[in-house]
Amino acid sequence: MLNEAALKQVIATMLNVDQSAIDQDASMDTILTWDSLRHMNLVLALEEEFKVSIPDEDAGNITSYKLIKLVLEELLQAK
Amino acid sequence: MSNNALDIEVLNKADSTLTQITQAVARLEKGEPVSRLSIGLSSSATVELFGLYLRKYGLLSGTHITIHQGNFDDPIGDVDLFLGAGVDYVIMLPFLDTLMPSFEAQVECLPPDLLVEKEVELRNRYRIAFEKARSIKTIFLGSFHRLEYVIDVAGTDAVASVIARFNQALREEASAFPNVRMLDTEDVVRTVGHTAAFDARFYFRSKAPYTGVYFNELARRVAAATRGFGAYFYKALVLDCDNTLWGGVIGEDLMAGIKLGPYDYPGNIFWRMQHEFAALERNGILLCLCSKNNSEDVDEVFQSHPEMVLKSSQVVVKKVNWNDKPSNLRELALELNVGLDSMVFLDDSSFECEAVRQQLPMVKTIQVPATLSEYPRVVREIKELFIAGGISADSRDKTEQYRQRANAVALQAQYESQDAYLASLEMKVELSCNAAASVTRISELTMKSNQFNLTTRRYSEAEVITLMQSIDTVVYSLIVSDKFGKAGLTGVVFMRYMDGAAQIENFLMSCRVIGRGVETAIWSQIASNAAQSGCATLRATFIPTAKNAQVADFYERLGLELLKTSADGTKHYSITLASFTPPQTPWIELTYVE
Repeated sequence: MLNEAALKQVIATMLNVDQSAIDQDASMDTILTWDSLRHMNLVLALEEEFKVSIPDEDAGNITSYKLIKLVLEELLQAK
Repeated sequence: MSNNALDIEVLNKADSTLTQITQAVARLEKGEPVSRLSIGLSSSATVELFGLYLRKYGLLSGTHITIHQGNFDDPIGDVDLFLGAGVDYVIMLPFLDTLMPSFEAQVECLPPDLLVEKEVELRNRYRIAFEKARSIKTIFLGSFHRLEYVIDVAGTDAVASVIARFNQALREEASAFPNVRMLDTEDVVRTVGHTAAFDARFYFRSKAPYTGVYFNELARRVAAATRGFGAYFYKALVLDCDNTLWGGVIGEDLMAGIKLGPYDYPGNIFWRMQHEFAALERNGILLCLCSKNNSEDVDEVFQSHPEMVLKSSQVVVKKVNWNDKPSNLRELALELNVGLDSMVFLDDSSFECEAVRQQLPMVKTIQVPATLSEYPRVVREIKELFIAGGISADSRDKTEQYRQRANAVALQAQYESQDAYLASLEMKVELSCNAAASVTRISELTMKSNQFNLTTRRYSEAEVITLMQSIDTVVYSLIVSDKFGKAGLTGVVFMRYMDGAAQIENFLMSCRVIGRGVETAIWSQIASNAAQSGCATLRATFIPTAKNAQVADFYERLGLELLKTSADGTKHYSITLASFTPPQTPWIELTYVE
């Protein structure tokens, strides 16, 4: 099971926003600081936190909370 | 433990995650620093993450560091930017593979002439940047390293020889400027390992080749090279004797019993370490002894032990007696006339180390490890404390060696000014009006550009087509190239003609071409087109966002007059076309395609 509290904390930390800003609809479009550079660091941080390796094609595209959740859940189930 | 101490522990641990480091850095930076400084980062790769690790090592030295990111691949423009921001240090990290697109893959087949030209261009570019940066305390210039493994097992392929040549060029240019110091990035890659240093995923997407592991080691080296960002300056190394300079205890094991010599374990470790200490002395570090012993016993080892490396003449002061070590260290400081905070103390006894740590926390106390094979690593760290910050030039001949720039390439690289340098690039800008074939790229650029984007209006492909077809709007696109190749379609201007005025609806450029005058070179043509269409004035708007601060004063620089600034920060500009004279860029050849 994906620990959503931990997920929110990683996203908030890496995007430099308050955790309350990370809701189910959070995405690159709703969060001002979520730019392509921070996104890169976010992917690295997610990999470390959840001990998974996010494949290349997903790494660039998981630009919303829902997509991140989806990809992480798949990766964790496959483990 | 206090929260601060916990955060410091996170920063000191090797296996802390990026999230933990980011959180610890953010929390610690809320506290009061011992000092503050700012660093400018200039690179031809994406190195945003490097800033975090510099801030980390700053905090470990009590310093809060502010990072100023430069533009992509623009060391000269970046120096202007950094001078304006008043930075203390500049770190320049040129990246080999972006010298030209996929440069490493191209090198084998490039004509030799082009490599010569590239080298000349590199030399000029960095020399001009260094000239401008004379007032900056220190500029660190990273050397080139390769991105790919060497396939040729001898390691002598085309990439290797280009790296050797370009690095030599950088070193030669740097040697003329006392405030420029090289950072050996090849050694950073070696130290952390090639596999750990790079992440290909973000390289092709965002030109971000490096991992946190690489940046961490590079930042650690910058911290060492700046003596903890100015936090320390060690001058004296105070050495215990028994089990530090030799194995065993001279008072008990006697001359024949102590372990010291080139061949046998463990004496060979102590013998090796003595050579390291002697080398430090050679580089101007003061060596002292502080040992609980009969002084005549220690003197005898120095005089008579056949394998003794260090000589009495290399030791400035000896405190060999039965007094406690903190008292001896205080006396040493007085006799040498140096502060206790400029002393490093090395001893094998945890009791002595703890006593000094408690009573004299300003002394850097280091314990000889119980596992002797670790001793060389510990001494390497000691050497780093003394040497990494730089040593006086007269004890080394390297600098002079680099100054002797005899080869023809160096002579060829004698441009007089920035303008001459820019002219040598043979820059061409092709400005196109309503280029229907480029609609996809134009729309994509409006969606992606954030930093150099004056209004951040986004346009779909359909919208771009409509604007191109409409009689009162014009879409300009520009293609930049220089003698090394094309940078592609990298800028767009949207104009709207209305009631005798030409309004700049948006102007945006890709970051990779900013800083060489392209952004101002196109406006004479655009203005004259507007005049021909019956316009008398030029109007423009700047809408601030979180990301476009770098162009906040672009229209001022272009020569427009600021009319008013709205409450939300939006700036409105106007000028009559008759009096509009944008900055001249004679080094750019502009062609106009209708």
